[in-house]
Amino acid sequence: MVNELPGAPNVALRDDELQRIAERLGRQPTVVELHAFDAQWSEHCSYKSSRHHLARLPATSTRVVLGPGEDAGAIHLGTHAGERYAVVVAHESHNHPSQIVPFEGAATGVGGIVRDVLCMGAEVIAVADPLRFGENAHARHVARGAVDGIGAYGNAIGVPNLTGDVYFNEGFDDNCLVNVVALGIVKESDLIHSFAPKGAQGWSIVLVGKATDPSGFGGASFSSVTLDAEESELNKGAVQVPDPFLKNVLMRASYRVFAVLRERKITAAFKDLGAGGIMGCSAEITAHGGYGAEINLDAVNVSVDGMPPEVIAVGETQERLLWILPADTAAEVVRIYNEEFSLPEIAYNARAAIIGRVTPECRYVLRYRGSVVMDVDIEFLTGRIRDELPYTELIRHSGKAAELPAVDVETLFPQVLAHRDVASREPLYRRYDAVVRGCTVLPRGAADAGVLAPVPGSRLGVALAVAGNPRFGRIDATYAAEHAVVEAMRRVVAVGARPIGLTDCLNFGNPRKPDQYGGFVGAVEGLERAATELDLPFVSGNVSLYNESAGGRAVPASAIVACMGAVEDVAQVVTPGLKEPGSALLWVGSRELVLGGSVLAELLGVDGTLPEISYLAERAGVGIVHDAIERGVLRSCRVVSDGGMLTALARLAFDAMLRGRAIGAEIDFGNPLCEAGGYICEVSDESQIDLTGALRIGETVTGSQLVVNGVRFDIPSLFDIWSRPLEEIYP
Amino acid sequence: MSGRIAVPVFPGTNSEDETVRLLRDCGGDAELVHWSEAQTLGSYDAYVLSGGFAYEDRIRAGAIAAHDRIMDYVIEGAQHGKLVFGICNGAQILLEAGLIPGTGQVRRATAAFAKNAPQPHFVCRHVYLKLEIEPSRCAITAALPPWALVPAWAAHAEGRLAASPENLAQIVSGGHLAFVYAHADGRVDDAAVPNGSALRCAGLVNGAGNVLAIMPHPERDGWTFNHLDRRGNGDVLAPSGGAALFRSFVEAVS
Repeated sequence: MVNELPGAPNVALRDDELQRIAERLGRQPTVVELHAFDAQWSEHCSYKSSRHHLARLPATSTRVVLGPGEDAGAIHLGTHAGERYAVVVAHESHNHPSQIVPFEGAATGVGGIVRDVLCMGAEVIAVADPLRFGENAHARHVARGAVDGIGAYGNAIGVPNLTGDVYFNEGFDDNCLVNVVALGIVKESDLIHSFAPKGAQGWSIVLVGKATDPSGFGGASFSSVTLDAEESELNKGAVQVPDPFLKNVLMRASYRVFAVLRERKITAAFKDLGAGGIMGCSAEITAHGGYGAEINLDAVNVSVDGMPPEVIAVGETQERLLWILPADTAAEVVRIYNEEFSLPEIAYNARAAIIGRVTPECRYVLRYRGSVVMDVDIEFLTGRIRDELPYTELIRHSGKAAELPAVDVETLFPQVLAHRDVASREPLYRRYDAVVRGCTVLPRGAADAGVLAPVPGSRLGVALAVAGNPRFGRIDATYAAEHAVVEAMRRVVAVGARPIGLTDCLNFGNPRKPDQYGGFVGAVEGLERAATELDLPFVSGNVSLYNESAGGRAVPASAIVACMGAVEDVAQVVTPGLKEPGSALLWVGSRELVLGGSVLAELLGVDGTLPEISYLAERAGVGIVHDAIERGVLRSCRVVSDGGMLTALARLAFDAMLRGRAIGAEIDFGNPLCEAGGYICEVSDESQIDLTGALRIGETVTGSQLVVNGVRFDIPSLFDIWSRPLEEIYP
Repeated sequence: MSGRIAVPVFPGTNSEDETVRLLRDCGGDAELVHWSEAQTLGSYDAYVLSGGFAYEDRIRAGAIAAHDRIMDYVIEGAQHGKLVFGICNGAQILLEAGLIPGTGQVRRATAAFAKNAPQPHFVCRHVYLKLEIEPSRCAITAALPPWALVPAWAAHAEGRLAASPENLAQIVSGGHLAFVYAHADGRVDDAAVPNGSALRCAGLVNGAGNVLAIMPHPERDGWTFNHLDRRGNGDVLAPSGGAALFRSFVEAVS
């Protein structure tokens, strides 16, 4: 048996996989090869048990510039001065590392996603972070460390944190979720691909960035197994070390290189080093162009001498990227990084170095100290492997149509506002820079989505929002996934943007357990339905499996979705807070009074039916909001989500109060704490709007009172209740 | 004929692009000067040190950058009366370089923008800078109205003015306290201060009035589309709000 070789390394490859490798090679693999296949065939790199399901997701539209398959997707944003611009987007998780070492794990999550966008030739313009934390003592430590790590990294590289969300649930005690989304902006003609272009044989392979060190060795396969508390010390070695200072300089140096390539009209390839390190990146970037590669590991800049070749080849040291360039251009690029941007002076032995060349033979060859330590068929190494794993059909939540209990709004509304899923997120996000780059139109917290004006001198805007409610995920994975798409879309609509595309990160348990895998498969089905119905493509995505504790408990089903929106003119963006007394308040959405998955249900300790998702109503809702904006009658708007309609209305009142406007509201509404979703809109003149699908529920008034079904609340007191709870975690 | 403004880039600077953009939109002749081209800095008429984390904020924010070759030119220029405007990390560098408040020797700090208090965390918060000096006391603020309120974003972990009691007294008596934090309506109280800064200080000027250091970023609320309270569909791309201070600077350079 291969894994019984003397000194055989600890790899996650299964026996049947090991056997396949030995058969194909016609010999036992070398230690380097064993580690290479271990990384390349891990779930993290190969998507072996998820890819065939993900193929169901719609990925095309007239706006899609680049669908899933490369490091990031790209979607057409608009045209300015005769140039077509695309938004580049990537979405990933860094769950396992963040659970073990929260600061570094979360920081390197940001670092990795930023490189995925950078390597498409784009300028990185925003990051966002959907977070799911547990409730126990370690989870608190994780919640603090992860947020500090995200802040420390994003703040230093100068990329604004535009949006995000956070939920706290004991289901995440043993496995936090740290998802990261990054956005970039690029002229569509300047997009750089992550595969060697036509005619690239003989071109140079240039490694750039941090000196390779022993950190992050085995990271890919570590992400693809279940965490064991006792091994957590051991696993710390698999986590990478962030260096945002170096990244800041690397980004700026790369922007300079982009300019040089544009000037010389050179089509190059650029790719982030992630899972599988130098080996994974150089094999994929050449194989996907139809080539092979020959790499000299002795040419790699390292931080310590004497590292074994498998560590140099497969280790996941952060802050590295790989270029495929014609030889003469390679020399100029090396000069830009090393001399103009003085990389070797920025971090120890950081630099750009020519480490190999693109070969016409489809072999992947690694040399080390004069001998060949790896020589395999590159197609076999990087080709698609597939695991058909059994899964049990998800049992859909039927929900008892329990009678709605009489709801004492006066007592319950303050409790809802103080609930950990509803209370102000400001204590968390004020640690993030939301406004660096000077392009921010709506920063984090000001609205349901963040908005940027990413092209200087242009009125074009891009909106970004995330969603994925674990209270639904615990009940029904398919529903939760569908709802995440719908809610992310609503958030983008509520700020006045037109939804144009989606990304997803599917965070689930162990695919080798049919019930947990069934949840994943069910979620893909939910995403597919919602995206198809709403005609929105998924342009990028990621899968994070094995989010299961040693005790065998999976996280709540978490299909986390990001939605991008296009704004033709940022003057049309809906600004925060109620604007005028005497406005009509319209409710747009389902009027179903059901409690399933709501904060209210949790507070009352009851179960209930999940709010129905009607795509007809969704499309109508989008139409009403856009129509109100176009007619110039929409004064403010918010999505009804966690905490129900009354929470959304209170937040509009808070935002007015924070800007010196004492505006309240008087409304009548069945159960204002139900979370059947939709929008609440403040309009100046409802006669301008086709009210089919909308309901007038009241009006805004002068003063600091919110009157609901005759119950009176003082807005500043509500603000106090809502704004404080998370200060306990983030003082 | 406008003077030429350099926005030097240290390793770790991160707000250089929007700083140059707003200076230009306010009529300034501004350009980035990368650290590899530091030797050209002497030919510029004024300097704006922008935000970021120069040299990773090692030791203290600004401590290493103050000894960078870039600062040889900036210090020499300041001593010859050239205008120098530092924002956030740029302000921290000016204090470490001893140019602000300028009551001691060069490269011997007499005050610092130290770790925020009571919570030592990074804070990103919208604020207002209130002009505490006669506008003409500082060349860079000369075109602002008295008691001007400038909208800006505080975004820093080290922005709390800290100095010995003697040095603080000197800051007050020497008229160095250029800006304090205020609310939107101009009220000044502790709740308006995001970082526990002594004297509620948001900005300091040197004795000669040609060097100004402020912690918050006016350039991040410098165009109409940045303003969260904007109304109507006017020219959202126009410089406004925080741009008032940039305009005043550009006028002084001209």
